[in-house]
Amino acid sequence: MEIVVAILQALLLMLLAPLTSGIGRWLRAKIHTRKGPSIFQDYYDIIKLFKRDDVRTESSTFISRGMPVLYVGVCFVLAMGMPMATRACPIPVLGDIILIIYLLALPRFFFGLAGVDRSGNYASIGGIRELIVGILVEPSMMLALFAAAMVLGTTNVGAMGGIVGSMQLASPVGVLVAGAAFAIACYIELGKLPYDVAEAEQELQEGPLSEYSGPSLGMIKVAMTMKQILVVSWFVAIFLPFGSAVEMTVPAMALGLVAYLVKMAVLFLVILVIENLVARVRFKLMGKQTWAVVGIAVLAFVFCALGI
Amino acid sequence: MNGFTLVNILGALLIVTSLYIVLERAPRKAAFGYVVQSLVLIGCFLALGVTTGSVELYEWSATAFITKVVVVPSVVIFLSKKIGDAGSDLEPRLTTTKAIVLVAAEVAVCFIAVQGINLPAAAEVKPALAISLAHFFIGLTCIVTQRNIVKQLFGYCLMENGSHLTLALLASNAPSLVEIGITTDAFFAVIILSVLVYRMHNVAHTVSADDLTELKG
Repeated sequence: MEIVVAILQALLLMLLAPLTSGIGRWLRAKIHTRKGPSIFQDYYDIIKLFKRDDVRTESSTFISRGMPVLYVGVCFVLAMGMPMATRACPIPVLGDIILIIYLLALPRFFFGLAGVDRSGNYASIGGIRELIVGILVEPSMMLALFAAAMVLGTTNVGAMGGIVGSMQLASPVGVLVAGAAFAIACYIELGKLPYDVAEAEQELQEGPLSEYSGPSLGMIKVAMTMKQILVVSWFVAIFLPFGSAVEMTVPAMALGLVAYLVKMAVLFLVILVIENLVARVRFKLMGKQTWAVVGIAVLAFVFCALGI
Repeated sequence: MNGFTLVNILGALLIVTSLYIVLERAPRKAAFGYVVQSLVLIGCFLALGVTTGSVELYEWSATAFITKVVVVPSVVIFLSKKIGDAGSDLEPRLTTTKAIVLVAAEVAVCFIAVQGINLPAAAEVKPALAISLAHFFIGLTCIVTQRNIVKQLFGYCLMENGSHLTLALLASNAPSLVEIGITTDAFFAVIILSVLVYRMHNVAHTVSADDLTELKG
């Protein structure tokens, strides 16, 4: 049963990812009082990209060839372990926070490397910047999660969500502050404004994309949306597990799925509003903001250590 | 969840709100942060009152509501309106990260300090006691790190909140007269300080502590 749920949710995530980004683009256009593309536009784009040839520079190696496949593969593996409609992880081994952090770092590393690999100037700078963003965000993400894990006594996402869902916490304010720090870190990880303009030239993050074309670009597009959904699901699974299915029965899981969709819709709406309210931050100033998140995570750590 | 746990949780929320007050540059927004903090403090008093059964604490919360939720923030908001929100773009002396880490360190140190106190009244509410002690240092941090003298005024208010909570935790049966004696002096101090800030701004056209050095000996 668990295996079926795992594969099913990963497949659904992959198939519905372009729809999510499509709805995002459509809503963004509505906020700008533009007509905007159809919500299925991303499917059309990806189908078109898959029909095209893959163009590579002469100097490119296996790294830039393998990166899109690796990116999609890692997201698929992550999707199998992430609790979505259920409270526990469908595959518990894949639901460990340390493993998830490393699995998220893996495609990021190759993504940055691929930018350098193609020997394009702009792509290289973009790749390096992508890595810097990762380096700046990950410490706060880890510290916030470790603070929460210290209180909850486990590093398994499903088990952590279970304890938070039962509302029997040793240090509720500590977990709350850790959740806030983790939410901000996740937001930066999403690569949305003010940290990136997803639809414009990829200057801050995603620089390597400018060198990709054809099916590779299509795969990366799918994988990037999958990653966004996964990061938000990760936050939901640990800090907002309310309403998800505790038992592995079909009616409970159907209810859990509805709750999951509602939570995700609300969160993505909040993200959309933030994204449209702010201008892009200057790259130099980004470090300041990520350090503030580290500060909040430190506060959460102190609260959790003291048990309040 | 018993009443003392609730007091400790509300105490931790006090730290979060005072952190907002320290970090927020615009005095008017910080004043609203102070309103929230005062409401949390009143929640603390009420929770303590229900748990310990002391009737005095209800009177305290009523006076605290008038002075801390209504009067003090409106004085500060009135003041910042009068001086045209001057100084809301002044950079504090510490970056956000350092300020947060400093506050976290202060809370930790106060926790260690409180472990040595073995009073029967404070046995259940040690975290809240540590937080009330930490508020004194957070207030001091606010005064030392802020360049804006209107923000320094909030540092004084934070210290006062801390001492108020300590009093409620350790001497919850003290008569209201004692409590009024302690809170009203802070209340007058805020009014006098506001008048001083207003006069200084009128004469020197600045609220930056760095520029107000005429009286330095």
